[in-house]
Amino acid sequence: MDSPKRFVYGIYNDEHTLLHAVEHLRHEGIDVKDVVSPYPIHGMDDALGLIPTRISIASFMFGITGTSLALLMLWYMNIHDWPMDIGGKPSFALFKNIPDFIPVTFESTVLLAAHGMVITFLLRCKILPGVEPEVIDPRSTDDHFVMKVRVWEDENESNVRAMISKSGAIEVKG
Amino acid sequence: MEKKYWKGVEELNNSPEFLKHRNNEFTEHLPIEESLGIKASSITESTRRDFLKFLGFGVAAASLAACETPIRKTLPYVIKPEDVIPGVPNFYASTFSDGHDYASILVKTREGRPIKIEPNDLSPISGKGVSARVQASVLGLYDNARTKKFLINGMPASKDTLDKEVKSKLADIAGRGGNIRILSSTILSPSTKKVIADFTAKYPTTKHITYDAISNYGMLKANELSFGKAALPSYHFENADVIVSIGCDFLTNWISPIEHAGQYGQTRKVNKDKKTMSRHIQIESNLSLTGSNADDRIRIRPSEQGATVITLYNKIAAKAGQTALSGGNSAMDAIAGKIADELWNAKGKALVVSGSNNINEQVLINGINMMLGSYDSTIDLDRHSNMKQGNDAAFVELVNEMNAGSVAALLVYNSNPAYTAPNAKAFADGLKKVELSLSFADRTDETAALCKYLAPDNHYLESWNDYEPINGSYSLCQPTIQKLYDTRQAQESLLTWADIPVASFHDYIAEHWKGMTPAEMSFDSFWTKSLQEGTLVTNAPAKRTLSFAGNVNDAASSLSNQKSSGEVDIVIYEKTGIGNGSQANNPWLQELPDPVSKVCWDNYFCVSPKLAKEKSLEQGNMIDVKVGDTTISGPVYLQPGMAEKTIAIAMGYGRTNAGDAANNVGKNAYPFISVVSGSMQYWASGALNKSTADDYKIYTTQTHQTMMGREIVKETTLAEWQKNPKAGNPDVLIETPEGKQRPKDVDLWATEAQPGFERPNHAWGMAIDLNSCIGCGACVVACNAENNVAVVGKDEIGRSREMHWIRIDRYYSSDVTKENAEEKHLGQLSMYGEMEKPTVENPKVFFQPIMCQHCNHAPCETVCPVVATTHSSDGLNMMAYNRCVGTRYCANNCPYKVRRFNWFNYSESAKFPYTLYSESERMVLNPDVTIRSRGVMEKCSMCIQRIQSGKLTAKKESRRPKDGEIKTACAQTCPTNAIVFGDYKDSSSQMLSMFKEERSYWLLEELDVQPSVFYQTKVWNHKAEESKKEEVKA
Amino acid sequence: MSIVESDLRPVLITGDKTMHQITEDICRPIEGKANKYWWMAFIVASAALTWWVICLSYTIGVGLGTWGENKTVGWAWDITNFVWWVGIGHAGTLISAILLLFRQKWRLSINRSAEAMTIFAVICAASFIVSHMGRPWVAYWSFPFANQFGSLWVNFNSPLIWDVFAISTYFTVSLVFWYSGLLPDFAVVRDRAKTKSMKFWYTLLSFGWSGTAKNWQRFEEMSLVLAGLSAPLVLSVHSVVSMDFATSIVPGWHTTIFPPYFVAGAIFSGFAMVQTLLIITRKVLGMEDYITLYHIDMMNRIIVLTGSIVGIAYMSEFFIAWYSGVEYESYAFINRATGPYWWAYWSMMTCNVISPQLFWSQKLRRNVTFTFFMSIIVNIGMWFERFVIIVTSLHRDYVPSSWVMYHPTWVEMGLFIGSLGLFFVPFLLFTRFFPVIAMSELKTIFHSSTSQVKRQQKEDKKGELING
Repeated sequence: MDSPKRFVYGIYNDEHTLLHAVEHLRHEGIDVKDVVSPYPIHGMDDALGLIPTRISIASFMFGITGTSLALLMLWYMNIHDWPMDIGGKPSFALFKNIPDFIPVTFESTVLLAAHGMVITFLLRCKILPGVEPEVIDPRSTDDHFVMKVRVWEDENESNVRAMISKSGAIEVKG
Repeated sequence: MEKKYWKGVEELNNSPEFLKHRNNEFTEHLPIEESLGIKASSITESTRRDFLKFLGFGVAAASLAACETPIRKTLPYVIKPEDVIPGVPNFYASTFSDGHDYASILVKTREGRPIKIEPNDLSPISGKGVSARVQASVLGLYDNARTKKFLINGMPASKDTLDKEVKSKLADIAGRGGNIRILSSTILSPSTKKVIADFTAKYPTTKHITYDAISNYGMLKANELSFGKAALPSYHFENADVIVSIGCDFLTNWISPIEHAGQYGQTRKVNKDKKTMSRHIQIESNLSLTGSNADDRIRIRPSEQGATVITLYNKIAAKAGQTALSGGNSAMDAIAGKIADELWNAKGKALVVSGSNNINEQVLINGINMMLGSYDSTIDLDRHSNMKQGNDAAFVELVNEMNAGSVAALLVYNSNPAYTAPNAKAFADGLKKVELSLSFADRTDETAALCKYLAPDNHYLESWNDYEPINGSYSLCQPTIQKLYDTRQAQESLLTWADIPVASFHDYIAEHWKGMTPAEMSFDSFWTKSLQEGTLVTNAPAKRTLSFAGNVNDAASSLSNQKSSGEVDIVIYEKTGIGNGSQANNPWLQELPDPVSKVCWDNYFCVSPKLAKEKSLEQGNMIDVKVGDTTISGPVYLQPGMAEKTIAIAMGYGRTNAGDAANNVGKNAYPFISVVSGSMQYWASGALNKSTADDYKIYTTQTHQTMMGREIVKETTLAEWQKNPKAGNPDVLIETPEGKQRPKDVDLWATEAQPGFERPNHAWGMAIDLNSCIGCGACVVACNAENNVAVVGKDEIGRSREMHWIRIDRYYSSDVTKENAEEKHLGQLSMYGEMEKPTVENPKVFFQPIMCQHCNHAPCETVCPVVATTHSSDGLNMMAYNRCVGTRYCANNCPYKVRRFNWFNYSESAKFPYTLYSESERMVLNPDVTIRSRGVMEKCSMCIQRIQSGKLTAKKESRRPKDGEIKTACAQTCPTNAIVFGDYKDSSSQMLSMFKEERSYWLLEELDVQPSVFYQTKVWNHKAEESKKEEVKA
Repeated sequence: MSIVESDLRPVLITGDKTMHQITEDICRPIEGKANKYWWMAFIVASAALTWWVICLSYTIGVGLGTWGENKTVGWAWDITNFVWWVGIGHAGTLISAILLLFRQKWRLSINRSAEAMTIFAVICAASFIVSHMGRPWVAYWSFPFANQFGSLWVNFNSPLIWDVFAISTYFTVSLVFWYSGLLPDFAVVRDRAKTKSMKFWYTLLSFGWSGTAKNWQRFEEMSLVLAGLSAPLVLSVHSVVSMDFATSIVPGWHTTIFPPYFVAGAIFSGFAMVQTLLIITRKVLGMEDYITLYHIDMMNRIIVLTGSIVGIAYMSEFFIAWYSGVEYESYAFINRATGPYWWAYWSMMTCNVISPQLFWSQKLRRNVTFTFFMSIIVNIGMWFERFVIIVTSLHRDYVPSSWVMYHPTWVEMGLFIGSLGLFFVPFLLFTRFFPVIAMSELKTIFHSSTSQVKRQQKEDKKGELING
């Protein structure tokens, strides 16, 4: 029943023009969906009104999981499951042996924090081996920038196009 | 009602018959005894001999196939001998005697294989321990170089053919009055002598000549001249307060070394109950093992030895009011005076011995001992020793006869003159002229190769024999395995050829022993007892008052002609490991580092660094040494402690027909021996020239000679120790905020008090008394045998990769010490540089056996990534071979460097054709100890297999192991009992009481690794004023 | 109204590049054909690699007896090489992580290849851990698996186990850090791809990266956190490696100064290796405009700094050895300098402490040939440092009776030479198939640090002065 969504794309060749365009158009009430750029543009998050990512929080979570898993492993293997007299070192109580356990605990923390975060990143961005990218303009990874605009049923497409090219786009697609 | 099935109709009937037999495997009687041709009754009487028969079935069957198929795949017992339980060792009292060494031993057999020699502590002679050579002798049984068949002209022949030929020849020769000669080394066996007598009765032209490669004829002759008794005395070092040894290596190489070492050990031990020890002065030319244990050591050239003895004689004669002799060594006058004083003060408790084979010198020595009243206190000529009976003169005469062609038959028994004789060439030539030449050698040795017939003798572990090493003290030798090869005991051969009908030599001996049966005993019980105990001492013979009849003046005058006729004197000495070379093909002995030089697999010219500098020689340079017209070229080894202008080389090397391990190892030094004034002289004078040959690598297990001023071996003097028992061994203290403390009191780690670290049951430990350790290396060979330690060969020794679990470190003192560095105005750098150099002239020598110290805070354990080495609850540092991944971190972190890594697959690689690889030698391996594979770490386990079996025995009798019940191989074999194993938890243990003594210390205590092994300070018995000097220094 | 940066800040991209030119320059090696220098290098490297395979098989086949180690010196070239390679690895992480945290823009043109270096170096290091084991086929026992009976774990008291964790964490984390950075650049290559196969492969490699604002947001956040994690990680790794020695009781190893001293040494040798690689790379791939003299200068400054730190460490070791009054400790150091291995010690001193001081002169710092020469010297010196620490400490430790000399065999030498092949083969492949400079990141400084921008700024200034 809904007619398919319609998008128009503005191609820019300067990051500053783009940044202003985004701000301007959104102010004009145009629904700027996304921006594709060859490198991260500072201020674009605010311009597009993106909420800050929580990926670092995820990383922290993975980190503390690593810490506790490591301590659990160390306690189980060397203290609980089969404690042994190893050179008279106090292997019979975690708190006594903790100095020996610090390096492994630390490394495991980093291991989980880093890998957990990277995996989250890949999943959230849906970038994985074999994923076909949506390439609007091949130059968008070289030196051009693409603005993705949703045109709503109640909007006049030519109108939108005009506003985009007026905002400094070198061409308008879609 | 459950069903019941009958095994057979018998069970149904349940006849009394059936009930009696139902629990036997075979209900009806099996004709076992019959099948073995034994009267069914006899099996109950003499079970041990039957065991040997049964045993023979299994092993012989396997051994015959030994050449092709591995011996491991031995047949299971068809009938299990009742006294062989798989996995449980049997011990048999027996005796080792090869005409050179003697020991009364226990042979440990497993499933019928002799695998280890252990001391028979019932023996008054060798009760305390076993020497390296005797320990190693078990390997000789499995030596692949042994002759496996009778040979005629080198071709295998049947016994009968050989017997027929030999007998007809002998009959023929005797018939026409041709001379028959039996040439042997010393024979201790009365029965064997009887055999020879019987043989002589049959062939009257027979004469028995005794010839020892290393002869004591000089003493025999001297005693004949002095006391009219051509015998060696037996010595009692334990009664001596002052021992003066002139060129005599009595601790490992002279007459009865094990016995002497044991007695000497007693006199050297000190503890809170025994505050005195013997004083030992050594006057010698090359640094011998005995010399390196001496409190004072005086260096003389061998050519000066005679004169020195004269001087000493005169000094003592002066005190004894006897007339002085002409001649003497003026240079030694002062020293001889001092020595004389000491000897005279210890009159009756003094002993002077000389290693010389010179008749005149020994006459003077007898004179000296007579004046000192040593006879019947430190010397016993009534219970005289038979250890050496070689007659040099007779041998020389024999060789002349042979060359004159007047010897028709020569039977060589247990002797190898073609290799050892001073005039070997002459002997070989003479042998060609002999019509019937026969050898009983166990291999085609240098002599056998020249003989027409070879009737291989059994190995002693396959033989019956009896011995009388010391007058009135007997021991028996019994077979512990059926003969491996088609050999026959020499005695049986002789009996056969003499047509004397006896079933076996065993019966012959038994016959002979019937005469010795004490009245109150039946022969059978006497015989069984003797066999079980292996040794028997009869009542002392009646004492005879000795009157000294030696003509000292003649002796002195001919002795003073003794001069050096060359620029250097050459001492031909005997090595602790190889001895006279008869066991040269024994890899254990070849790889046993020489106690003093620490060199393996070689002999060499010992040259003092001083002489080397004069001649601009360096270690490994080849030199040509010319004596008369014999020249031997060999490498130089820089040896401190040599006399001026004196070099030394060891006998027993340079074999050509001994086997793969021995052939062409080192140089044969026997040709340097010459016959001077009726006896063989073991030194010579000649010329030394640098050879053009390329340098030669001498490989040693110890490349650094000094202690670098570290307290590795702690030492003190008797005088100081008597004043202060902690002398030389002050507590190791560490500075802490709370002041100085013992390392174990400043410790982060667990103590026994903490849970998990208690020693609930045992805490094994070991005491090592550095004062009674003489460094002989018997423990090293014992450990090799007990723990299947790999022999790695010369090259690997060169790469410092020996595998020995126990080693004996030997340190020389250095001129520069931390104390005197200031006086010498040396900065720290040059001080350390200088401390690396051992004292050239006359260094103090220290021996220190080191094995795994079983640290309770072991540095090796904490660093192992895979928990392959951990601590047991009874204080042992354990090694799990099959968990080890081989990072070698533990070895790096071991401060004592006792861990050994398997660099190669020693048991599978043909590069190492020794005990682990050689199919036949593998039979000697101890089944209780794993063979370590490539890439894993190994080390001393404190003979954990012995500990476990000891614990089991005790447990079965529900008691604790008794102290001394469990002994590690090293402790057990030590002739001086310097190593004592024990349990810290056993308040009665000797080890514990030693631990409580003030002399005890932990090696490197400052590291606080808390070893289970501890050492006891070395105490020197210097003269009073000397020890004063030291006090001043300290 | 560009992003204003002080014109005192140096030009990081010379040659008035346009953004498109940057893309062109960096993709050229991937799209074009390899030149003959590359092929020569590749053939030599592959030869070395083959030799490594031969020596390794021989060692594993016959046993460690083929090496020169012995009862006293249980570690020698094997662990020396291990520490050397790990050390080299550190510069990569340091550049990309710590310099990122310090917002050092000049890192951008070198971090990619530095990280690649890290990864290949750690592989080489790992190869020595495995090959030095007596039974490499059970190397996996050093991971916390239970044995077949279920209860025999590893010994977490052992520094070697710390190593296992540190090295594996370090390797994998560096790998993902490096790869995540590569994603946008792969996308660039993908979108420029002419051939089908290139399109396919680089689509696969780029995981379908498109570069939307949200992805960039997450991407930057992730890079920052990864840097934050890698910074302590890189410090911990070499500290742990140093503890293999520091926690032992061997005099000369048992030293608390080791962790910082090893880390400094690692950075020192790492930067030297980066110099070696980049000076070749910029020449062979014509990247002079991106890896400028300024970059080389900056790295040389770090070299002289860390070199001096290492120097001070050597001195304080000696001081403490003397000051402690411990017999064994002080002898260990006297023996290092004057013992049988004095030559190793003094070559270490010359290469590591004395010669880097020349870098105090800017002229030399900016001299490419000299820098290249020095980078080699430093790496030789750092190899000797490890050799000195390991062998001279072991060969004369506590009980003089066990003091021995160590002589390497051709096998050990072969393994070391070979490991260079194991390092350079993948690195050369990397220069052919991966973008050697992180271009997406580099473009972020296009408006601030290119030559033309800087010139513009200067002219504006002049203008103001005239008008004013």
